[in-house]
Amino acid sequence: MMIRLTLLLLLVFPGFALAQLEIRDSWIKNLPPSVPVRAGYMTIHNPQSKTVSIVSLSSDAFDSIEIHQTIAQDGMMRMERIPILIIEPDSTVQLTPGGLHLMMMNPGEPTQIGDSIEILILFDDGSEQKLEMWVKK
Amino acid sequence: MNKSSIAIVALLALIGGFSISWYLSSNKPIELEAGLWFGEQARALPDFELVDHHGQVMDRTTLSGNWSLMFFGYTHCPDICPATLQTLSDMANAIEDPNVTKAVRIYFVSVDPERDNAETLATYVNYFNPGFTGATAVMEKLTLLTSSLGIAHNIRNKAGDNPSYDVDHSSAIVLINPQAEFAGLFSAPHDPLAMARDLTRIVEYN
Repeated sequence: MMIRLTLLLLLVFPGFALAQLEIRDSWIKNLPPSVPVRAGYMTIHNPQSKTVSIVSLSSDAFDSIEIHQTIAQDGMMRMERIPILIIEPDSTVQLTPGGLHLMMMNPGEPTQIGDSIEILILFDDGSEQKLEMWVKK
Repeated sequence: MNKSSIAIVALLALIGGFSISWYLSSNKPIELEAGLWFGEQARALPDFELVDHHGQVMDRTTLSGNWSLMFFGYTHCPDICPATLQTLSDMANAIEDPNVTKAVRIYFVSVDPERDNAETLATYVNYFNPGFTGATAVMEKLTLLTSSLGIAHNIRNKAGDNPSYDVDHSSAIVLINPQAEFAGLFSAPHDPLAMARDLTRIVEYN
C-alpha cells in the first residue's frame, strides 16, 4: 500500500520521495558581504538499512554548493572536494567547523543572520530532499 | 662514515639532547594549557614589513610593547578562518582582567594578497571583532615573516584568472612578546576559554 502510494506520488509529483535522511542542527556561518563563500554545517543521520549517497546539492541562494573536507597536510589546512558523500546504514555524519562542510559559493544576495535558506539535496537514486538552513553568527 | 666520526656525531647528539632538556627544564616559568611557551628560546622576528587595514605600516616596532596573537589565513576561506577568528573573538571577550585585554593585540594576516586588500581586510576583521587588526603584504614580504615563524602557506589550483583558487595555510596561532620575539604557539583545535586563561597567565606573570 505504502509502495503504491509512493509510486503514485512519484507519478503525480516527479522528484517526490520520502525524506531519506534525518538532518538536524543545520546552519550557515554568516560572513560579511565582501566574502563570496559561506560554510554550512549539520548533523546527518541515515536511519535506513541501506547506504544513502548524496551526489549533489543546490540552492537558489548560491551559484553552487559542494561538499568539502578540511584536512591537515604538510603543516597546512587544505580543502578537498568530496564528490559523493556516503552515509552508511544507521550511522551519523557530522559536518562541523574544521572538518566536513558545505562550501557554498557566490550568494546571490548578501546573507544576514536569521535568514533561512532552502537547500535541495540530490541522492544517487535520483530522489531529492529539501533542507532549511539558518544563517547564524 | 668511519667509526670515529660516528662517535663524534653520537657525542654531539648526546650533548645537544642534554642541552635542550636542560634548557627546557630550567627555563619554563609558565605552563600553558592550550599552547606551547618557548620561554628563553623566544627568538627575535626578522625585519618584516606589512601594511595593516588602515593602510599603516606594521613592523617589529608596531608589535613592541604589547603581547600579540597572529593568525594567518585569507578572507575567501569558508571554514577554518571564520572559525578561528570567531574563537579569537570569543577568547578576547572571555578575558576578565582589563589589564590583560589592554596588553593583547590580535592580528589576522592574509596570505592571499592578490584578493585581500586593506579595505577587504577592514570589513572582514571588523565583522568578527572591531578590536582586531588585519594586515598583508606582497608575497615576498609575507614569506619573510611566515618562514621565520614556521607558518606554511601555499596558493593552489590557480590557473590564469581563475578567481576561486584555494590557499592552504597553517591553522596555528602565533604568540609574540612585547620585545617582538616569537614566544609561543597555539596549535589547532583552539579552545577560546583555555586560551583566555593562558593569555591572562602570560601577561600577569611578565
